This record gives sequence, C-alpha cells and structure tokens, in this order.
Amino acid sequence: MTSPQAGAEAEPGQEQEPGREPEQVQEQAGAGPAGEAPWRRLHPVTPVLRSWRVLVVLLVLYGQQRGTDAVTGGGADVPGHLELLIALGVLAGAVVVSVAVSALAWRMTRYQVDAEAVRLHTGVLFRQQRSARLDRLQAVDVVQPLLARLLGFAELRLEVAGGSGSDVRLAYLREADAQRLRNALLARSAGLSFEGEDAPEAVDRTVLEVPLPRLLGSLALSGGTIALAVFLVALAVAAVLADAQVLLLGAGPAVLGVAAGLWTSFTRSASWRVAVAGDGLRLRHGLLETRTQTVPPGRVQAVRLSQPLLWRRAGWWKLQVNVAGYGGASPSTGGDSSLLVPVATRSEAEEVLALVLPALLDPLRDPLPDPLPDPAQPDAGAAFRRDVERGLDGVGEDGGWLTAPRRARRLDPVAWRRHGVLVTEHALLVRRGRLGRQLDVVPHERTQSLGLVQGPLQRRLGLATLAAHSTPGPVSPTAAHLDAQVAASLLQEQAARARRARAAAGPERWMESPRTPPTEAGPAPHAEPGEG
Amino acid sequence: MDAFDLPDVAWTPVSPRLVTARRLALLLPALVPLVALVVLGVVLGGWWWWAGAAAWAAWGAWLWGLQARQVRAVGYAEREDDLLLRKGIVFRTLVVVPYGRMQYVDVSAGPLDRWLGIATVQLHTASAGSDASIPGLVPEEAARLRDRLARRGESRLAGL
Repeated sequence: MTSPQAGAEAEPGQEQEPGREPEQVQEQAGAGPAGEAPWRRLHPVTPVLRSWRVLVVLLVLYGQQRGTDAVTGGGADVPGHLELLIALGVLAGAVVVSVAVSALAWRMTRYQVDAEAVRLHTGVLFRQQRSARLDRLQAVDVVQPLLARLLGFAELRLEVAGGSGSDVRLAYLREADAQRLRNALLARSAGLSFEGEDAPEAVDRTVLEVPLPRLLGSLALSGGTIALAVFLVALAVAAVLADAQVLLLGAGPAVLGVAAGLWTSFTRSASWRVAVAGDGLRLRHGLLETRTQTVPPGRVQAVRLSQPLLWRRAGWWKLQVNVAGYGGASPSTGGDSSLLVPVATRSEAEEVLALVLPALLDPLRDPLPDPLPDPAQPDAGAAFRRDVERGLDGVGEDGGWLTAPRRARRLDPVAWRRHGVLVTEHALLVRRGRLGRQLDVVPHERTQSLGLVQGPLQRRLGLATLAAHSTPGPVSPTAAHLDAQVAASLLQEQAARARRARAAAGPERWMESPRTPPTEAGPAPHAEPGEG
Repeated sequence: MDAFDLPDVAWTPVSPRLVTARRLALLLPALVPLVALVVLGVVLGGWWWWAGAAAWAAWGAWLWGLQARQVRAVGYAEREDDLLLRKGIVFRTLVVVPYGRMQYVDVSAGPLDRWLGIATVQLHTASAGSDASIPGLVPEEAARLRDRLARRGESRLAGL
C-alpha cells in the first residue's frame, strides 16, 4: 500500500498522550488520518516467551548453588521438602512477576509500517519512539529461539546503520507474519511498489550448504580446540611428573569453557545455508535457535576471507562481512551476525564472494560508467578471480600486487612478502598473514575514509601502514609496512578512486537503479516517485 | 622527501593556544606526585626521593617541550572533495575523510578550552576507524569549518 508522503513523518496525535487506553490503537481502530498505516501490536504470547528466559536463568542459578553446596558440603545432598517448596515458590513468583512486567511492556509496545519507515513505540516508564527509514535498511533478520520456534513464533530484527543498539526488534510475531513483514519491508526498501499488504516473496536459490562433517572438522581444527589439547597434555605431563593427580581437576573449568564455546559455535553454524534471492543474500542457520538473515545488495561494506593455519590442508576458508548495523552485535547479544560462511572450500568461497560483491565480476552491474564495459573482454570475472587467487595464497609481487619492500623484513621477518595491496577496477584487495592467511576485499565506493600510520621504527625504514576504514565489523583492511612514498600516493589515488566510484554508485533503493538488470527471481522493477 | 607531506597540499596549522591548553592539562597530574616526592624527601630524608623527584621533573619537562612540537605537527587541509588531517611526531597519522562520507560533525570545548578560546571539531563517518578530530581551533574557525563541512557533506551526500 502507498500512503501519502506528507503524513508519513508526522507522529499521529494520540501517540503524544501517555494514554492508557491500548484498545484504541488495536489494529485500525485508532488509526490517525485516513490513509495512515495502522498501528499494530506484537503477538500476545510475547510476555510468556520472554519470561521463559527468567525461568531458565533461575533454574541454572539454583542448580549451580546446589552443586556448589554439594561439593563444599554446605548443604544436604538431596534437597528437603521445605527447600523444594521454597524454591518452587520463588520460581513461580519470579515467573509471575516477569510475565506481568512483560505483559505491561507488551501493552505499551506497538509498531507501524508504511512506505517510508518502520516506527516502534516501547517503554512503560521511559517511553521510546523509534523510527527507522526503510531506504536506510541494512539487513533484516528473522530470529527464532528454540521455544519460539517450537511454538511457531519469530522475532524480526531490522538493522539500520546507527551503531550498537540501533536495530528495531519486533518480538514476537507469528512466523508467517514475520516472513510476510520481512518481504514487504525488503520490497519497499528496494523501492518496489506492490498491491495490498503482501509483497511477493522473492524466490531464493541455494548456493551453498555447509556439510556437517566439514563443520565438525573445522571446529576440531580451530584454535580453541588445539589450545585446549596442548593445555591438557601439558597438565597431564605435569601431573605425572609431580605425581599429583589433583592437578587434573584444574582442567575442569578450561574444558568446560572451551566446550561451551565450541557448542555455541556448533549450534549457531549448524545447517548453514547461503542462498540468493531477488531481495538480497539469505543466510539460514542454527540448530536450536534458527536465524534467517537477509542482506540486500550493496549493503555489504567489506568481506574478509581468512584461513587459520590448520585449515590449510583442507583448503577451508571462513568468510566474514562488514554490514553497517551488524557491527555492534556482540556474541552475548545474539551472536556474531557478521559471519557469512563459517567454513567453505576455496571454490565456494570465491563463488560466495562474487555473489556478495556482484559488481566486481559482472560488467553489466558495473557501478563505474567509464571506462564502459569492453565487449572485447569476454569475462571480466576471470581477471578478478585470478586476483583473488593471488590474494588468498600468493606471495610476492606476482599479478601486480604491491607488497612491502625488502627492508620491511626487519619488522616482520615472516610475513613481509605476503603483506600487500592490489587495486582493481572495482575494489581494494588487502592480503596478510603467512601462517594464518587473510584477504580483505573492499569495493571502492564503500570506503569510508583512509588512513596512513607510521611508527618510529617504520619511519626509520621509510615504511608506513595503509588502512582503509570500513564500518564497524570484523573486517579492518590494513596493509602494513608499505613503502611510505608509495603508500602516500596510493592513499591519494585511492581517495580519488573511491570518490569516482561513489559518484557512480547505485541508489539506496537498489531496484530503482536503471542499470541493474532485473533478476530472474525478483518482481519487475517499478520506480516509485521517491526522493532524489 | 617526507611521505606525510603530500604534494600540492597546503596544511593549515592549529592555534598555538592549544599548547597552553595541553600544558595546563599536563600540569596538575604532574605536580601532585612531584610535590609528594619532595615532601617525602624533606620529611624522611634520603637521596632517592630527590632522585625520583628529579627524574619526574625531567620527564615532565620533556613532555612540556613535546607539546609545542606535537601541536605544530597537527595540520588539516580542506580539499575539493575531502578533508586531510595529520597528527603526531613519533607515531604519525594521516587521514583522508571524504565529505560525502561524513555522518555528523561535533564541535566541543571544555572549560579550559573555552577559557583559552579554542575548540575541537570532530568529523564522524560510519566507520569507527576514521578518527578525524581537529583540536585547537579558534571558535570562529571551528564554527566556519563546521558549517562548511556540513554544507559540503550535504552536497556530496552518499548513503553508506
């Protein structure tokens, strides 16, 4: 549906009142001026689903306390009737209080979606009204924690580029509603117009599924596991030498810690699936809590391919991305959303890279108007693939890489020949690492700013470190120990190149771009009379 | 030739009043331990207190002198499409911030800065890495720069 633009930014009148009549806003009943999108509520089951966590936390706390008591001998081994009664009472009370508080919060929460923005009003004592513009939408995630998933509910997270805590979270909606809303948001964000409430779902095509054995293998060969193994062996040797088996008890916390970390990685990465759809890249993953991330085209700011030393034999690579809005997310607040593929083979990694940054490969989607795509050049992708190949495991200056000069070996004797930058037509490639390898790819039009840093030792050797600044996230491309003069001129050139690429870059509403060819999956592009 | 002196770039220095501001900010935390050491030397006796005080004073004097050089090393240049900013003597940095990438501009001044009549202009991009703050600007220049940056940013606005 299309609402008049004039009314879109104005807050509806009744929202200013600290009104306690929630029924008024129920569905269309309290809608403001004619044509205004209705204010909606989240699903009434929300308080229960939210309170579930309180129960789990309390149970875990209680269990821990009991466990500690049993070990230290502070309490009876088996809880008595009275203790059980008290525990149950406390538990029930906490759950009731939690549900009541959540219910109050639920009553005060409502959201509105129109052609321009999503608005969310929350808060009981401290009110918050948040409005996220759809053309600034960076990613849309559908998250289903275990219980919600079993009951058929989902949380919708809209990421906008406002740093940590700037996302709009709609929890919980019916799963089907969440999907519908996601499709509608993405379509509107793309600048498509469609009839009625429901946007047609973009059909997706699976590109890659991470097989379970590979995932397990990659976890077994991860740094944490190896460190644990070394630690355990050292501990065992020490215990035998000192003839003190007590030492082995000390391994307990370490084993638990590493195991918990591995378990988290495993459940998060299990059944990892990458797909492309008309509205962007889809990631679907998770064993217990499932998560479907949709990143529209052009929202990926930078990509990192990395390979720990132990993955080299298997030829595995991990892919991470910078997406504005994902950057602030820490593992504790819902996992590392920046992970693109936990473990991919080399060819898969290259394929996904090409999908994420299609402009790099496809001359049709060339964001630069000049030079015009050369028809004599049959495969623009081949050159890029070759560059990526060299970036992944190349050393030295083959293929036009600009590497650290020989004198840099005094600062970095191992990896100096590997440190390097390559400027292609569309992107800046930065590689580093001799043992664990890394390659960062930043499209020119996504460069935020550029920096040159020089420490005292580097100054003596005439070296400098070049950094391309990207939005917050795991990818921070820096090329260490380049020749200072070369780095300085590269900085200048790169600034000019980024400016040109930016001027030619597509619009925020990606479907409005006249140059973008219609994808087979997406509906026909239909330009909306939007802002310039 | 120094790589950090880019060709065709006229660097604008910042106000020398920043030296005073930084020295004053340095003074208090430096004086308290010095006084403590001297008092201990007088009360308890012993040459090591005096040696400590002397070392501390020497360190402070070096920092005192360093401020002038550091402030001289700060410079910025407004170009057609981007702002250049350089800093530092021992660890030197040079940042290029395109106007089109600017998200917002901050102008800030603490009590000491206000007393001395200087302010700091900070440019924010969507990246946490681009640390582009220009300290030690006279308020008129800070206001002019702020408005100019905001205007240029608007005319060259790109999303992310």
